[in-house]
Amino acid sequence: MTPLAIYVHTPFCPSKCGYCDFNSFAMQGEIMDEVIGAMIAEIERSPIKGTPAKTIFFGGGTPTYLPTHLLLRLFEAVVTAHPPVAGAEITSESNPGTADAEKFAAMRSAGFNRLSLGAQSFVDSDLRMLERVHSSEEIVRAFHTARNAGFDNVNLDLMFALPRQSFDAWTQNLERALALKPDHISLYCLTIEPNTTFYKKHLRGQLELPDDEAQVAMYDHCLAETAAAGFVQYEISNFALPGKECAHNLCYWHHEDYAGYGPGAVACLGGVRGTNVKHPRGYVEAVQAGSELRFDAEPISEESRRTERIMLGLRLNEGLPTDGLDPDKLAELARRGWVEWTEDRVRLTSEGRHFCSEVALELI
Amino acid sequence: MDQSRIRNFCIIAHIDHGKSTLADRLIERCGAIRGSAQEQMLDSMDIERERGITIKMAAVRLNYKASDGQTYQLNLIDTPGHVDFTYEVSRALAACEGALLVVDASQGVEAQTIANASMAMNQNLEIIPVINKIDLPHADPERAREEVESAVAIDASDAILCSAKAGIGIDEILEAVVQRVPPPAGKPEAPLRALIYDSHFDSYQGAVAYIRVKDGSVKKGDKIQMMAAGSAFDVDSTGVFSPGLQVNDGLECGEVGFLTAAMKSIGDAQVGDTITLVNHHATEALPGYRKALSMVFCGLYPTDGDKYDELRDAIEKLRLNDAALDFEPETSAALGFGFRCGFLGLLHMEIARERLEREFGLELILTAPSVDYKVTTKSGEELHISNPAEWPDQNEIAAVEEPTVSATIMVPNEYVGAVMTLCQERRGTYKKTEYPTPQRVILYYQLPLGEILLDFFDKLKSSTRGYASFDYDLDDYQLSDLVKVDILLNGDMVDALSFIVHRTFAYSRGKAMVEQLRKVVPRQQYEVRVQAAIGAKIISADTIKPFRKNVIAKCYGGDITRKRKLLEKQKEGKKRMKQIGSIELPQEAFLSVLKVAE
Repeated sequence: MTPLAIYVHTPFCPSKCGYCDFNSFAMQGEIMDEVIGAMIAEIERSPIKGTPAKTIFFGGGTPTYLPTHLLLRLFEAVVTAHPPVAGAEITSESNPGTADAEKFAAMRSAGFNRLSLGAQSFVDSDLRMLERVHSSEEIVRAFHTARNAGFDNVNLDLMFALPRQSFDAWTQNLERALALKPDHISLYCLTIEPNTTFYKKHLRGQLELPDDEAQVAMYDHCLAETAAAGFVQYEISNFALPGKECAHNLCYWHHEDYAGYGPGAVACLGGVRGTNVKHPRGYVEAVQAGSELRFDAEPISEESRRTERIMLGLRLNEGLPTDGLDPDKLAELARRGWVEWTEDRVRLTSEGRHFCSEVALELI
Repeated sequence: MDQSRIRNFCIIAHIDHGKSTLADRLIERCGAIRGSAQEQMLDSMDIERERGITIKMAAVRLNYKASDGQTYQLNLIDTPGHVDFTYEVSRALAACEGALLVVDASQGVEAQTIANASMAMNQNLEIIPVINKIDLPHADPERAREEVESAVAIDASDAILCSAKAGIGIDEILEAVVQRVPPPAGKPEAPLRALIYDSHFDSYQGAVAYIRVKDGSVKKGDKIQMMAAGSAFDVDSTGVFSPGLQVNDGLECGEVGFLTAAMKSIGDAQVGDTITLVNHHATEALPGYRKALSMVFCGLYPTDGDKYDELRDAIEKLRLNDAALDFEPETSAALGFGFRCGFLGLLHMEIARERLEREFGLELILTAPSVDYKVTTKSGEELHISNPAEWPDQNEIAAVEEPTVSATIMVPNEYVGAVMTLCQERRGTYKKTEYPTPQRVILYYQLPLGEILLDFFDKLKSSTRGYASFDYDLDDYQLSDLVKVDILLNGDMVDALSFIVHRTFAYSRGKAMVEQLRKVVPRQQYEVRVQAAIGAKIISADTIKPFRKNVIAKCYGGDITRKRKLLEKQKEGKKRMKQIGSIELPQEAFLSVLKVAE
């Protein structure tokens, strides 16, 4: 059996951040036991049980918000159903506010070998504005806790284009992140998603977002600084020290299949992409009733697959194969300075990275 | 069939009061269709079905065995249910001797009920009030009855209570049609006079005229002449609607049916014209004919300029079965080659656009709708202008007249103030108020037609929480102080965005137009300056900032489907953009003017 990327979704967070539209809930106590129990049941009943894990990724929510024993029980179930291949990357996301030396050590010895810390910003006023539960100091502490627990592969998530963020503030922010010497940096532009409190504020004109020019400058600055610190950009939002690219996420961008467990988890198996029931209670009930867990399942058509390959492939610095792409369009995009292409591959230029969607629109 | 046993009738009702359902029940009851009848069978076009409105009339012949033991031929003639088609309604009524006036038992009388009922009364039709939907929880048949009496001024003491949906009262309606609607009064021996009350186009038979034989009779082989158009044809076939077309031996005096005569276009069978025989010629045509009158005009352009010929073919084909559609070629500096089209109203315009896109696979840009202005120049020339781009220089204009309508607005008491405010804002002239019931008021206004185009109906609905109903009829032209507002994008005038406005509104609407454009025009790769101007004078300006980047966001396993769908949607939107110079404009930009009267 071909090894598979396994995604595990734990839907709990200490509190809901204002910008977040992930499937996460500020719940705790008994419901955690119920959900983890249900997830273990889902994994044990999985029709693909036994398929080796190429990578495992615990996301959320905040996996490390779970009590250690629950997190490890869940982990046990995952690796029993999907034995990791040798050298498999096994990641957990973590919120710096939930960092705990014992928990990190237990996770490391259980088999987790990569930690992704949701730092977001090293400026305390940004963190308050984003409604994060942690301070910048706690990020630093959490990072060292991870290192001390034996994690030699740690990612920092950073956000830019925050309300009222100045270029100088961003520069200092990035400096503090790089000073910790992480192995990987994920960089996202703050996106205002519907169904968030930020969305409402945005509609009322209460978020003063940096304009396009400022955002472009922040992004380009990050490219330069990370490169100077030895990082290689391998995806539009991701920078890694050589060899520390996130193997799990690369599976998504290469349009490979992946399994997904837990409330709201998405899986893409055998040409069908499906999403589990999102609410923890509804999910538990569905598992207990033995009924269909997915609330939608979309067979991906040939055309959709092509669109997705273009959309995802453009994100990667390695680009994507040119077969099936219109050479006239490619030439036109190259004239605009947005892509560079050879006989068999096309990729975005550094200017083109600012127009990733535009390029995708031209090519699909 | 003995003329005394023919009954020709129609159903008039406000939209949603259940006309189509009632028609279906009557048809079913008379066995015209067996088995699983397709719901609402009189409305045959897809678009009608989707919108739940009747645009194209049809008719159906029913054989009904009445309680007196006799079998009667009932011809049910359908009428369009929208104010755009008032003339067509009047012709359908002219083909009847009676009308069922259907009123919703919970909604009561509405503006359209009054407008159509008074039209029916003017034509001396026997009106049978029918109170429908009596099975609904909020039904109040007594109140509906009182409203019919006071608002329509007819005796409603014997109104029939019915529920078309539940099949209640159907027999009573059919009996009332037999007993109360008079039989046709025409003279069988007189020269043929047949009223064309509708038509459709068939690619094999040509125009099919829907006729009511008023005098004489007509059969296959007859040589006929259109009394208004003058053209002559040989009758290929006659027949009746059952409800599909069924050929017969001929149509007798008093009957309703269809006639084909190798008429090449729908224009050969104009609604309202009178058919007579070449060799047995009537001296006088039936009254009431007029040419279909376009009230609303707009430019139609292909999004892709290379598709001009396809668009011309499509409009010509559409014109074959839509006699009310007027068109002539026009050129726009901004949009290239297209057509100036005239429509009966905004709904008619929307439908024509939808049909062109759906049936002919075209992607179109519609320019802002305009009415027909009469402009007198200082040199004494009188011009009809329906395209703002052709507006003369302001210095050359001596006088401008604009078309008006007389509007009937029915509204609950508490919203009278809101409606009067709205009408005043739209330059309305108050005419009178009537109080048909203690709760409701009818307001009569004269309003410029151009103001009605600007979202008037939506505004009326929203300022009365949906309770107002509205109907109008064309009124006179009146003098008005109108000016043209031009829109400039990066300094270049875009003729397709110009609009005509009353001088007192020029600034506010120029500003609103600029604002609206800023909202609907997507950011481009360059800065776009948007300006409104009267002549050389800029009255409002703003800029659309260029976009310098797409959002750099995460994209993991759970995001892929959503992101793909977003891309697909953007792609669809891009296809519909019109390139003006280096600026891409979406369709909404051209209709922005409809939103300037906020």
